[in-house]
Amino acid sequence: MQYGMIIDLERCVGCHACTIACKAEWEVPVVNARNWVKRLGPTMTADGMTATYYPGLCNHCAKPTCVPECPADEVEMTFKDAKSGKTKTMKVAATWKDPFDGTVQVDKERCLGCGACADACPYGARYVNPDLADDNSEGKVDKCTYCKPRVEAGLDPACVQTCIAGARIFGDLDDPNSEVSKYVKKGAKGLEAKGGHLGPNSRYYGKKRDINLLFADYTPELADLGSARRRAMMASMVKPAMNKARNMGLLGLAGAMLVKGMQEEDK
Amino acid sequence: MAFNLTRRKFLKAASLAAASVPLSKVVSADTGVSKAPLVAKGTHGDKTVVGGVCEMCFWRCQLVGKVRDGRLMKLEGNPKSIDNGTAICARGNAGVKLLYDVDRLKYPMKNVGKRGAPKWKRISWQEALDECGERLNGVVNTYGAHGISVFPHGASAKYPMHYFERTVGTHNVSEASFFQCRGIRDTAYVASTGMPPGEKVDMPNTKVLFLIGGHLGENIHVSHIKQYVQGLQNGMKLVVADPRFSASAAKADIWVQIKPGTDTAYMLAIMNYLVQNNKYDKDFIENYTDGFDEFAKAISEWSLEKAAKECDIPAEQIKEVAELLAANAPNVAIHPGRHVSWYGNDFQRQRALACLTAVLGAYFVKGGWVPPKGPKGIKGISWKKHDHGHKFDLNYNQEEDEKVYSNNPPGTPTELIRDCAISGKPYPIKGCVIWGQNPMQTIPGQEKMKKVLEQMDFVMCVDVMPTDITMWADILLPEASYLERYDYIKKGTQWDLSKPHQQYIAPRMPLVDPMFERKDQVYITNELAKRMGHGDEIPVNSLEEMTEKSLAGAGLSIAQIKKEGGIHIQPGKDPYKMPEDFEVLLFNEDLTDAGHPGAPTYKPVEEVPKGFARLLYGRAPVHTFNRSQNNVWLNNAMPDNPVWVNEKVAGRLGLIDGDTVGFVNSEGVKSRTTTTVKVTPGIREDCVYMYHGYGSANPALSTGHGTGVDDTSLITKLAIDPESGCSGMRNNFVKLIKDDKVLDIPA
Repeated sequence: MQYGMIIDLERCVGCHACTIACKAEWEVPVVNARNWVKRLGPTMTADGMTATYYPGLCNHCAKPTCVPECPADEVEMTFKDAKSGKTKTMKVAATWKDPFDGTVQVDKERCLGCGACADACPYGARYVNPDLADDNSEGKVDKCTYCKPRVEAGLDPACVQTCIAGARIFGDLDDPNSEVSKYVKKGAKGLEAKGGHLGPNSRYYGKKRDINLLFADYTPELADLGSARRRAMMASMVKPAMNKARNMGLLGLAGAMLVKGMQEEDK
Repeated sequence: MAFNLTRRKFLKAASLAAASVPLSKVVSADTGVSKAPLVAKGTHGDKTVVGGVCEMCFWRCQLVGKVRDGRLMKLEGNPKSIDNGTAICARGNAGVKLLYDVDRLKYPMKNVGKRGAPKWKRISWQEALDECGERLNGVVNTYGAHGISVFPHGASAKYPMHYFERTVGTHNVSEASFFQCRGIRDTAYVASTGMPPGEKVDMPNTKVLFLIGGHLGENIHVSHIKQYVQGLQNGMKLVVADPRFSASAAKADIWVQIKPGTDTAYMLAIMNYLVQNNKYDKDFIENYTDGFDEFAKAISEWSLEKAAKECDIPAEQIKEVAELLAANAPNVAIHPGRHVSWYGNDFQRQRALACLTAVLGAYFVKGGWVPPKGPKGIKGISWKKHDHGHKFDLNYNQEEDEKVYSNNPPGTPTELIRDCAISGKPYPIKGCVIWGQNPMQTIPGQEKMKKVLEQMDFVMCVDVMPTDITMWADILLPEASYLERYDYIKKGTQWDLSKPHQQYIAPRMPLVDPMFERKDQVYITNELAKRMGHGDEIPVNSLEEMTEKSLAGAGLSIAQIKKEGGIHIQPGKDPYKMPEDFEVLLFNEDLTDAGHPGAPTYKPVEEVPKGFARLLYGRAPVHTFNRSQNNVWLNNAMPDNPVWVNEKVAGRLGLIDGDTVGFVNSEGVKSRTTTTVKVTPGIREDCVYMYHGYGSANPALSTGHGTGVDDTSLITKLAIDPESGCSGMRNNFVKLIKDDKVLDIPA
């Protein structure tokens, strides 16, 4: 099974309902986004005057570049197929690709907030949520989950439910009879990175001129993994120190006094 | 104690003392604030409350609320809805951010500073109502009821508007939804077909949709967009006349890049072509219209070539559109539009749309103009009507014994009220009640509005949010929002008329309780009435009672509606049947009697002066007029309103995408703020375009203040539509200002 989402640009009117519903559903900070809508054009193309939209979100790639970059300690995790009840145990860091539904997920409890995965994503689909900072991190990575908790409860993803144009279609790309598969047969395609083999599973369908403009403007370059890796390495080096510091109550106390002092200063 | 410390500052300091400090523990030890879980729960497990009816705009989609620990977490479309369904737009979704907006009005306030530069003092409701009552009485006793002017907008303003109009007895009511928006459409269609047209075109089932300036996609109303998208999916052809490559133009089969202001000439040429070439619906003309011969004669001068020259488009394209319409008639949708107060020649354009529909026989047929048959029985409960005569009706010429503007929408044309207030002739207007409207960013001529307000004895405003007009109030009252009160009963039918016919009734019911000291319109109005000697005429004591009584007319109750999930659904009726008495007046003699053309007539608008561009404006999909500027989610989605400049013009001016510019108009008025440039080939060279509703002047809006440019501030030259008395707002011309240098727009 591989969940995927189709964005039908013939239908999409660029209204942003999807982005705002997502913010409400998942308490996404105002300035961050799990999904986005960009307006393209009007511009003159080989197909004439063109304007369309880029409603973007995590592509839950077949071979995600983000997952291998996570520096968090690996743990054994057992996954369960909702349909067959089959299980599979894998070693995963704080982000992984689900072996059964194909979605890419994050364990916020173990996330170091280093942002290496965000750097590795060519689509900019991840961000570090500073509201979720804790003792170990300056924040936690957040991203589209294809609304996994909602889907498991039998609901549509929040963006799909609210789409006023019926332009977002969610389903199993491995099921040849699903709506999403029918769209793929009609030509819906993902924004594959230049020279990459990520296999994006959020896919776009539309008039030729609109798709051409979207792909011309938003086909991404592969991310510079060097910088992602440096960030990950830094985070993994700090990790033991963090764990140590957590146990040092005295430092906490010093910090508390400092906070109080600074609040006085702000008055 | 507030945790008054930015995270960055904390980390900076903390890193000096220690590698890492348990922030959560420090905070909780000091403030008692407990940390939220790392993983957002999602709202699917939250309690569902039914009965919401949206008013982020005025389409009124049906909602449910997701409530967690008494807090509204999310709004969703009511799954029972046969209108919007589970879908709501960006603004609908952002309703929670209006509800909990930190800048919302919380308490009654008295302005102890100056109008326009207020200093607010919190006062009690008792004091606020006493003062409003006393000062309104003062106006009425000194100048008469007509000394009060009212600027209402939205569902909550209807009850107080009726109070002032019917009970107190002033004609001086100016609704922005009429005089600065759709009033012209409604009265022009009434003069043509006998009824206002709404946007009742059967888009899902049409073969051609014809839009004049309509920019569906940027202009969002959920079920309307559903109809439009279904039409596109079903293969309808889309014709869009617009100087700009709008959201609709981008989906169009034919984009008519028309010169601003010439739409009527364009349609006259289409109609003349159809008549001359015998491509009109002869049966319809014979059976359901009057005045065809006079009409045909009146428009006969409009050859394709003449219109092509006037509208600056190819004659061949006009013919192509005319042929397309004729080939698919009568199953064609001539969209009546919504905001149509454009150029001061708008009544005639709306007449032309109504007549074009008739020439194509496209009334009450599949894919044409079809009013759905909605449920009956819902009773309007409001203040009793009284006849207050014409003596103080500014739209009545006492000497000639006739109306000044023959086809005005309900109320009194805005400029008649404003001119009367400023001149004191024929009588003083010294009281102003503003309820849910923001005349400062709605009505053109801001300086004129300021003069109107400055000379008042008393100004009161009621709203949910501070706006540019609330700065001018003497007393400012905080209102319960649409999510916190009973109110408006939305009714209608299934959105696709080709589906089994159903009707629905959905009263607005509160999803959460009002916070702080916010009160609803029935409470406020009744308390004013008691203080003004009209207590004995109070029609209802609460919105809940009003809703209950209204529903009773249809054999329903609040309890019943709640049991049915917030929406009552019943079998509907087939709307595709021409009423026997239906008639379209292609030539209207009442209009000629009033001194206007009997057949639709093109009146040219002022040409763009050398060095300027015409300022055009329109809807942003994430905003409703100027009402949603401060909504943090919507602001974040589209933080400013870039000005569209044609790429050739930009090239000559040396402007590039993203440059920061201000504006000065042909009357020397400068914009208060700046915005960015959007360079595109998708707009004519003689105009610039921006989204309406940005750049609030009120510093009380911590998000919306000064973001983007207030287009209304640049609309200072007033045009008045001669038939309706409504505003025309697209006859203003601007130059751009970059780095303090005024740039002449090259011809």
